[in-house]
Amino acid sequence: MTAGALDDGLMHDGNTGVTCPACGSQAGAADSFCESCGTELAPPVSSAGPPGYSAQCPVCSLDESAAPGVISAEGYCESCGRKVPSGRDHVELNLEILAGVSDRGLRHSRNEDAMALATTETPDGPVAIAVVCDGVSSSPNPEDASLTGAQAAVRMLLTSIRRGDDPDEASMAGVRQAHEAMAILGSPSRAPSATYVSVIVGADAVTVCWLGDSRAYWLATESESQRLTRDDSLAEELVADGEMTEAQAMASPQAHVITRWLGADVVTLQPHIARFEPPGRGVILVCSDGLWNYRPEAASLAELTLPEAFNDPTSAADALLKFALDAGGMDNITVVLVPFPLVRPAPLFKEAPS
Amino acid sequence: MTDSGFTVDVDQNQYLPEGGRDVNAVVTVTSGADVSVAAPGGGAGSAEIIIIDCSGSMDYPPTKMSQARAATAAAIDVVRDGVGFAVVAGTSTAWPVFPPDGSMAVASPASRAAAKQAVTGLRANGGTAIGQWLGLSRRIFAGYPAQLRHAILLTDGKNQHETPEQLAAELSQCEGVFSCDCRGVGTDWEVKELRTVSTTLLGTVDIVPDPAGLAADFASMMENAMGKQVADVSLRVWTPQTATLKFVKQVAPAVDDLTGRRTQSGPQAGDFPTGAWGPGESRDYHVGVEVSAAGVGQEMLAARISLVAGAEVLGQGLVRAIWTDDEALSTKINPRVAHYTGQAELAEAIQEGLEARKQGDEETATARLGRAVALAHQSGNEDTAKLLAKVVDVVDVESGTVRLKKKVEDADEMALDTRSTKTVRVKK
Repeated sequence: MTAGALDDGLMHDGNTGVTCPACGSQAGAADSFCESCGTELAPPVSSAGPPGYSAQCPVCSLDESAAPGVISAEGYCESCGRKVPSGRDHVELNLEILAGVSDRGLRHSRNEDAMALATTETPDGPVAIAVVCDGVSSSPNPEDASLTGAQAAVRMLLTSIRRGDDPDEASMAGVRQAHEAMAILGSPSRAPSATYVSVIVGADAVTVCWLGDSRAYWLATESESQRLTRDDSLAEELVADGEMTEAQAMASPQAHVITRWLGADVVTLQPHIARFEPPGRGVILVCSDGLWNYRPEAASLAELTLPEAFNDPTSAADALLKFALDAGGMDNITVVLVPFPLVRPAPLFKEAPS
Repeated sequence: MTDSGFTVDVDQNQYLPEGGRDVNAVVTVTSGADVSVAAPGGGAGSAEIIIIDCSGSMDYPPTKMSQARAATAAAIDVVRDGVGFAVVAGTSTAWPVFPPDGSMAVASPASRAAAKQAVTGLRANGGTAIGQWLGLSRRIFAGYPAQLRHAILLTDGKNQHETPEQLAAELSQCEGVFSCDCRGVGTDWEVKELRTVSTTLLGTVDIVPDPAGLAADFASMMENAMGKQVADVSLRVWTPQTATLKFVKQVAPAVDDLTGRRTQSGPQAGDFPTGAWGPGESRDYHVGVEVSAAGVGQEMLAARISLVAGAEVLGQGLVRAIWTDDEALSTKINPRVAHYTGQAELAEAIQEGLEARKQGDEETATARLGRAVALAHQSGNEDTAKLLAKVVDVVDVESGTVRLKKKVEDADEMALDTRSTKTVRVKK
């Protein structure tokens, strides 16, 4: 299942511009909307699954003579009882200047992670936006919380950057939007909840905003790789207080107890916002704990990711997913990679002789 | 689903090994402090009938009849104002004691006093035909619109004045019309016979060896009946097309196999009756499903358990199957499934052991009752262990080595038989 910029129905026309899918007019590569009809030319994408996806029982649909089976609200075939893939079990997104993959993993019956990506052009150059949310398994309908939050946030981040907001302001607007969208899914006593991390990657800075234990990293070979987020988790607090080493904390039962999240039971929204200026070439990694559980250190994640991610973030994200699956795939896994500095999205880029 | 005050919880090990097909789950249905359901077909409120054996044997000893009259009066005192009630007397035939015209009276201080007055005139004389008694009660219930219909039946003897077929035919007509708690007084009645009546009519059965205990027992049965608020609740079990529903058993507070009570309610769903519910009740059900195996990593919905009253769904729980190659997951036996499997075997071992003893097959009796002693001990079912100790001498409780007692009181043997299905619960 692939949904991405090249499959979005836009006909990319060299480096110079695009053809509007609605009215056929020519638009500039930097345009957000078609000048003729107003259609959005580079809409955000998310791990909701391919558009128009309709659930079908993988077993009963093989029998062509049978009527199409009904799929229950819980996602089971009403005829044979088989769990029907939701469309979110494995999703790859490719927006050329950034790419991501989200996967159910090997042990969970559904994917409660979500991601949403967007790109836009600004007077200062291209901007890449990514949001990853990890549904809190102990809350009701965590898979709705994560997807709703990621989609709401990316839309707000994109709007905010397009109108020229400062990335800090945009980050705050994005997380607030995600929070409000998740809050209306439940009530304080029954709150679908999720972690949150967003990155806005511009020409010379990365702005990170987060709550919970989904992470962003700077991975590089020419400079020092480092983690850009600090988990809101009991484990991180124990390490910060000097009570445990990181290895001890991660092995403790509280390792995955998070102390901040988004949802209807959150009274005061307390996101962290940090700005990072890359010293040179590198890759920004945004991920859920389904990946970093197996390799928390920035330097070793860099070894797994570079140099491949510089030129091909899609296959580098796949490689990180495969690493996490091979390590056990205990949790849902979401990986987004943004090579830095950003290059203009160009269809010919990948085909250029290396 | 409305907020009915009911909850349905499923406890199971959802992991199956490669090729595994057997799915077991314990379903716990709990009613909250406040349960209510819109009345399905009009008619609200409840109706009660007290059925009293007036056969000649009730005069031997004469205290039996006088205690039965006192017990009936005690139960009448507990009937709440506004509830429909009647008293039926039974011998080889049946007649309405109160109201004498065979209708239902509405409880009030005056009608309760009149009913108690009518009961004082009851005398013992005649035979025993329980089907006749049930038949009259069924007709009285039919003439009175009430959602909750419940009877208390007292007898002291075997069903001698009609054939087993006649009783069975009447029972099948009463099924679903009213529920019935049965009490046997003395030791001349047949446990199996009365258990058939009580299980078909979703009630309890017990022995009251001493007539002096009747009044308190009747009053408490009636109080329990007055607490019921939701009638005719069923467990609706959906299973996949290729699956077989092997059994549905109530396992707490007592074992009651509901498998044969299925009414088809959809192409892949059947309803199993659970009777009436009051607030603050909790019952456990053991559900066994055989599914067709799927590949490792696949997940299947093995059963969807809905609690229904009429068209209303009161609660729902899902039984899942996930195939895994991780043996640590698939070999784990759910402790509550294991516990109730043992409790069902305990009831079976007692009933088979007592039957063998009756037939003079001491070897089987010793083996089965020994097994029961071991199971009762392992599961902490102390009440049953005490009852067993009155029938066998326990040599070694762990291995279940026992000797049959040479002399056993009839009342002790019957108490063990009637209470063999009582189970204890384990904490989750």
